[in-house]
Amino acid sequence: MDIVSIFEKVKDENRTALLEHEAKQVLKDIGVEIPQLRIVKTLDEAIHAGNEIGFPVVMKLMSPQVLHKTDFGAVVIGLTDEQDVKKTFLDFMNKFANVVIHGVLVEKMVQSGLELIIGTNIDSTFGPVILFGIGGVLVEALKDVVFRMCPTTKEQALSAIDEIKAKILLEGYRGFPIVNKNELADLIVKISNLAWENRNYIAEMDINPIIANEEGIFPVDARIILK
Amino acid sequence: MTTKLEKFFNAESFCVVGASTTENKPGNVVAYNFVHSFPGKTYLVNPKGGELFGNKLYKSVLEIEDKIEAACIIVPARFTPQMLEQCGKKGIKNIIVTTGGFSEIGDEGKVLQQQMLQIMKDYNINVVGPNCLGLYSPALGYDTMFLPDSRLKRPKNGSVSIFTQSGAFGAAFIDQLSRLGSGQWVSKFISYGNASDINETDSLEYVGQDPDTRLILIYLEDFKEGRRFMNLAREISLKKPIMGIKANRTETGAKAGASHTAALSSNDAIVDDLLRDAGIIRVITWDQLEDCVLAFGTQPLPLGDRVAIITDGGGAGVMASDMVSDCNLKLAEFSPEIQNKLDQTFPSFYATENPVDITGSATAEDYRIALETVYDDPNVDSIVNLCVAVIPDLDIDEYINITKELAKRKEKPIATSLIGGEEAVFATKELLKEDIPVFDSPGRAVRALGMLSDYSKYLRKNGIDPKSILVEE
Repeated sequence: MDIVSIFEKVKDENRTALLEHEAKQVLKDIGVEIPQLRIVKTLDEAIHAGNEIGFPVVMKLMSPQVLHKTDFGAVVIGLTDEQDVKKTFLDFMNKFANVVIHGVLVEKMVQSGLELIIGTNIDSTFGPVILFGIGGVLVEALKDVVFRMCPTTKEQALSAIDEIKAKILLEGYRGFPIVNKNELADLIVKISNLAWENRNYIAEMDINPIIANEEGIFPVDARIILK
Repeated sequence: MTTKLEKFFNAESFCVVGASTTENKPGNVVAYNFVHSFPGKTYLVNPKGGELFGNKLYKSVLEIEDKIEAACIIVPARFTPQMLEQCGKKGIKNIIVTTGGFSEIGDEGKVLQQQMLQIMKDYNINVVGPNCLGLYSPALGYDTMFLPDSRLKRPKNGSVSIFTQSGAFGAAFIDQLSRLGSGQWVSKFISYGNASDINETDSLEYVGQDPDTRLILIYLEDFKEGRRFMNLAREISLKKPIMGIKANRTETGAKAGASHTAALSSNDAIVDDLLRDAGIIRVITWDQLEDCVLAFGTQPLPLGDRVAIITDGGGAGVMASDMVSDCNLKLAEFSPEIQNKLDQTFPSFYATENPVDITGSATAEDYRIALETVYDDPNVDSIVNLCVAVIPDLDIDEYINITKELAKRKEKPIATSLIGGEEAVFATKELLKEDIPVFDSPGRAVRALGMLSDYSKYLRKNGIDPKSILVEE
């Protein structure tokens, strides 16, 4: 399914927010590397997915009624074997018996690293803008973010990376990995193009956290809100 | 491509609609300005007829037979749409409306502005205003500023162009520039008021391609065409420095949205980043804007961020040094020959490392040696010349001459600050007369160099030689 079809399908279902697996499909379609994942409906499928992907995995409930997943216990991380997967799947079914469930996401767990954010928004003056900065749960408290207009060139993305206050964290600070700024800038450019080309659909986007670790740069959670 | 404002400034005939015979009334002042300065043909319109400044007063613009390229309408708001329509019928395409009383006052004014917009569309007219000072260019003898010279002194021709959303800010700043140094600063001044048509982005586009504009100053409260503005600025800032105030900084716009991004999207956070990205030097206060004119308007760009400080007072030197790191600058480490020369020339109680403190025993000759020596050091990109002028052995006239002589070399930027005593006031005045930048405090002097260095860094990052940017001949 192409990107626009995903947006149209979400709109047809009277939703404005893409579910995480839909948002990640969009990212995958624009050439962003995402953690390996499966969307499953049954316990057997969940166990199979865990084995196929390889442990540890995380499991997340995909429901339009549970968008703030962490707040509702709809995300469980660090699942190391079939037993963990089984327990989590049954817990989800039990706990969320009364909500509409589109499936359960089983995803390769990304090893910890530096948490970053890339987001987009439509500004009333400048139109689509992209934000880059230090992500994670403290993003709004730290406010260490930099904006650019979409579409953004690679040079603009690189200068944005250099403008954050905590840029020292990207350069191999106290055990943190050295972040590949070139790869990060490419990611910013891709997201900015996505927001620009689909400005008639996308209202807001949060890719947060994006984890940069020894193995690369991985979008761990993604939220796309349509107009 | 011809920009809209080019047609205003390059008009060869101009009509003042609402030319008043009452001295110092706006319509009288503008008529005076054009009759006395404008090299093209000036026509004056006043329904009573008669004569003003030796020129005929036409009862209506429609009575004039010759072609008119631009006009200024200075009549009360309620009559403005009618006058605009007459100008439209006459075939005038470029019209400045200075009068206030339109969208800025509420619903009644909005109706009038709406009427104007319809007429502008019907007759294909471009408008500057309403509610503004309009346009000023001393070199072109073009002046719709309706306040008399006795109230609002005009700066003379120079290389700085200014555009402003606020007329009052514009008026005050124009007057301030007329009193700054030689007063020779302004190329084009654009006050566009309510921006019913010509706005900040049209203004930027015009001054960006205007060959006489070498430095662009802006005062904005909001953007009418934000995207186009930023895209244009990114190109223009590589050819001429753009700097200014974007006021209205209160944190609005961010909403508790569904995303962190929306929650972090306050207007000013976005504006601040986009201005920097477009290469615009943002200042916050009025005095910084004046410092910009003085620094960028007179000094070459530094080729690096290493600063030498010469002072006769420890405290001034320490404060200036503190400011160095606040302004993205570094204290220069003198090259061995230069350090050697300073060590050997000066008595042992002078501090010869950067900041060089030639103490309260300093003479003008000490200043000459210190300033010239560090100026010649390849490890020094810019110089701060500080003088606490209360010391006993300093011949102030000699100090002034030394500073003037060094300023003539124009290889590196120098920022001077004199503090303390009558002689400081005197020397400041004497140096400023020749547009040698002297600042009210050591901190402002360093900050001015910091702005020059930031811009130089921006150019180098974009592969442009800072030496190719010439603000003055």
